[in-house]
Amino acid sequence: MNPAFLKKIKRNDRIAAWIITIGGMAVIVSVVLILLLITKVSLPLFYSPDSQLYTSFQLPGDKTGKQVFTLGMDEYLETGYIVDSGGLVRFFNVTDGSGLDNYQFISESGSQSLVSIQRYGRLNHVLHWNDGSVTIEQVKFSPFFDENNNNLRSIQHSIERQAAFAAPATGRSEQVVARINEEDRQVRVDLLQNGTLRVSLTEEVESLFGAAELVEATHQLENTAVGQITTMILSNDGIQLYAGTNQGEILRWNLSDIETPLLEEVTQAFSDHREITALNLVFGDVSLIVGDNQGGLTTWFPVRNSDTGWKLTLIHELTGHAEPIRSVSPTPHDKSVVSFASGGVQISHMTSERFLVGIDPPEKISHYALTTRGDGMMTLTEQGQLSSWKLDIPHPEISFKTLFGKVWYEGYSEPAWAWQSSAGTDDYEPKLSLSPLIFGTLKGTFYAMLFAVPLAIFGAIYTSQFARPKFKGVVKPAVEVMAAIPTVIIGFLAALWLAPLIERSLGSMFLSLILIPAALMISIALWQAARKIEPLKRVERGFEFLAIAPVIIIAVAIAAVLGPGLENWFFAGDLKQWLFTEMGTRYDPRNCIIIAFAMGFAVIPIIFTISEDALSNVPPSLKAASLALGASRWQTVWRVILPSASPGIFAGTMIGFGRAVGETMIVLMATGNTAIMDLSIFNGMRPLSANIAVEIPEAPVDGSLYRTLFLTAVILFVMTFIVNTVAEIVRQRLRAKYGRF
Amino acid sequence: MTTSRIENPIIQVNDLKFYYPGNARALHGIDLSFPEKQVTALIGPSGCGKSTLIRCFNRMNDLIDGCRIEGEVILEGESIYDQNTDIIELRRKVGMVFQKSNPFPKSIYENVIYGLRIAGEKDKKLFDERVETSLKAAALWDEVKDRLQESALGLSGGQMQRLCIARAIAVNPKVILMDEPCSALDPKSTARVEETIKELRDDYTIIIVTHNMQQAARVSDHTAFLFEGNLIEYGLTDQLFVKPQNQQTEDYITGRFG
Repeated sequence: MNPAFLKKIKRNDRIAAWIITIGGMAVIVSVVLILLLITKVSLPLFYSPDSQLYTSFQLPGDKTGKQVFTLGMDEYLETGYIVDSGGLVRFFNVTDGSGLDNYQFISESGSQSLVSIQRYGRLNHVLHWNDGSVTIEQVKFSPFFDENNNNLRSIQHSIERQAAFAAPATGRSEQVVARINEEDRQVRVDLLQNGTLRVSLTEEVESLFGAAELVEATHQLENTAVGQITTMILSNDGIQLYAGTNQGEILRWNLSDIETPLLEEVTQAFSDHREITALNLVFGDVSLIVGDNQGGLTTWFPVRNSDTGWKLTLIHELTGHAEPIRSVSPTPHDKSVVSFASGGVQISHMTSERFLVGIDPPEKISHYALTTRGDGMMTLTEQGQLSSWKLDIPHPEISFKTLFGKVWYEGYSEPAWAWQSSAGTDDYEPKLSLSPLIFGTLKGTFYAMLFAVPLAIFGAIYTSQFARPKFKGVVKPAVEVMAAIPTVIIGFLAALWLAPLIERSLGSMFLSLILIPAALMISIALWQAARKIEPLKRVERGFEFLAIAPVIIIAVAIAAVLGPGLENWFFAGDLKQWLFTEMGTRYDPRNCIIIAFAMGFAVIPIIFTISEDALSNVPPSLKAASLALGASRWQTVWRVILPSASPGIFAGTMIGFGRAVGETMIVLMATGNTAIMDLSIFNGMRPLSANIAVEIPEAPVDGSLYRTLFLTAVILFVMTFIVNTVAEIVRQRLRAKYGRF
Repeated sequence: MTTSRIENPIIQVNDLKFYYPGNARALHGIDLSFPEKQVTALIGPSGCGKSTLIRCFNRMNDLIDGCRIEGEVILEGESIYDQNTDIIELRRKVGMVFQKSNPFPKSIYENVIYGLRIAGEKDKKLFDERVETSLKAAALWDEVKDRLQESALGLSGGQMQRLCIARAIAVNPKVILMDEPCSALDPKSTARVEETIKELRDDYTIIIVTHNMQQAARVSDHTAFLFEGNLIEYGLTDQLFVKPQNQQTEDYITGRFG
């Protein structure tokens, strides 16, 4: 051969080898990169929280010797303040402790001596004055951008009085809680020195003629507890009042009716009668945080029970302290709980029951405050050392248990697997359980495969082994065209045409499930008999389907006609109603029947094509050998062709399975997207893929939901990876067993 | 032309014409008789129609879409192209061994009893017995008796072909058709298969298509020479090879064409 030509051949061969290698590697690398990328986004979900000392200094000297009552700061950790027992607010710079300006709180009657201060909400302070009166003051921070100075940001602060409550006639109270809500409804509850509770309410009522009228009422609250009330908390709207006793009881009143406050329950929370030392409400005012004198930290909310009605129930047990708990408070934006004991301050998340961070400086903390964003904390020790801390708590609500386990969410009557990532309000407890989604994916896939696999494989067997080549030449491309139909169209048809159709004619559908096989059996029996008649003998094999088609059409037509009558007769006119009342299954219009049809429609071409190829590729010599031994066509198919083609059929089924698992558009449109865990064929599901499609546009980038969605993508990826790997292994085994051709 | 009629043939072919799809005639009216329990060889150059002819005897040509057949083939007095012929029964009487060995991807044991299984046989003892007798008859028993449950695909080419023979005789056919059974085998395996054929002639009628005239001479009692779809000469093998009656036959066996 011409050496130059030989060289050229070799060079081309090398180039081709390179291109193929690069292409193959590129595919592998991109798949791995995709996995790495989505894993990288989802991984921070599992990072542990961290706290860092930001600044620390000795509190500026205080000559008056007045006790610090509370402290706070802005969300940028720049300006802090302390309030002392004299009602003096001192603002200071958090970075170096230098004083800024001061402000003096004064009671309505001019008193400058405080009994206690409670913080709640967004830097609201309930000031209990020694003259018995109460004021609610809010410290406000607002960023200010100085246009003359390069838009430099500085934090401005101001103070605003929200409400004032007059002193009661009964004299000084042991404890006071007070709230004012958006409609200016004012509630003040006093724990008197004799242990009784007194509530005074002020409410604006619109009279018949539209004139606003101020209504006031004062009541002594009913109290049937055995122990002494040690602590109490009022919900921010001033309606729910909780109190804890030194005997481990929790009392709950409803103050919504201004005329008749109602003691709703007295619950013995702890069987060992331990003293309840601290109460507060988790953000959203549903769950009650309970701290006790043994350091235990628990959350509770009323659960409806058929015997006893609403009853406070222990929901979550959080990481406690070694010492009695001195106070508990919610975090301002999520369902975390801050607890304080002499050993330090801890933050735990209620839903995930995760211990997040603990702040435990060498000196004992006397006061603490959390920034309104929840990402910073300030502590004051008994020695007057003031420290600010930066908290990095990326995804407190995520734990293995919340992602996969049953969780008792607020307002639920029992622990549940639930997915509901967002709601109309900010104080909503996100429900991010992936179990119903994984279940939904498997459920949808299962029903789709249940419908698609037999049809596709039997279709492939018929076309490859029984049908005439000419017929096959039409059917195969036609089925392959099915695969080219955009899934959005399939989903659209399924949701808007098929779903209402099946809902209308559910009885007919079930009837045809019985009638079609029956009609086929009868017609086959008739055909066998008729085959003995002379002219019919000449009907060529391979055209049997021509006789089958009208049989099926007739069966469906009969079912359509008889269906409604049957429904009337057996199911009192409405099968759906009957299912609900008799079987306890709810019928959703977009259910697994629809999904089986629609997704089956999308999966059938894949399974059919690959199976058909595998069946057609079985060496004809095997078929000939079997037939020559006197096997019938069906025996040949069943005993020789199918086993030999099984690797290919299996591969086709698995690829179809992978397609069904990842299918998004059809399930998105036709499942109803209900994240339920119910195998019933009459309701829908929310698969992983559709969930990502539905929620990712709404998910704030890098938020918990966003990362959780990426985690579901990883799960989806891993699921398909496992399915494909198992499929490949099984296929190799089958091929080793039946292959070698 | 020689007379192809003999007394009491097991297969009698009368004016058999065969058309492939598109009306391409492959056989132009064959008249031929096959004596019982003898080996008959069909020889002829490629495309002469010898494979087509034996495939007519178990109706394997039915698998070809659009083919047509005229004339008759009579097996034990019954026309096999009759409307009432049960093809399955016919093929149990007329076994076939193909050019390329085609064992099923099953164990050796399962391969042999395949014909029994599809006939609905379930008797395990009969299976064991049949496996042994068939494999012995096919001269394979000694080589595989210890690994009957192993895959047939692990056998050598010659062993596979003998397994196919054993598989064909396991259902006790009257006739065994062999379509160039040794064409894909090495000389040593060919010798073993030929040995097997010789041993089978006492119990079965064997019709063997071969390209190899030496093989025909070695194994057959009768030989038919086909050329371009016509039967040119038929006779006792010894006579046909030693003293061919027809010039074309002579030309072929002396290697002037083929």
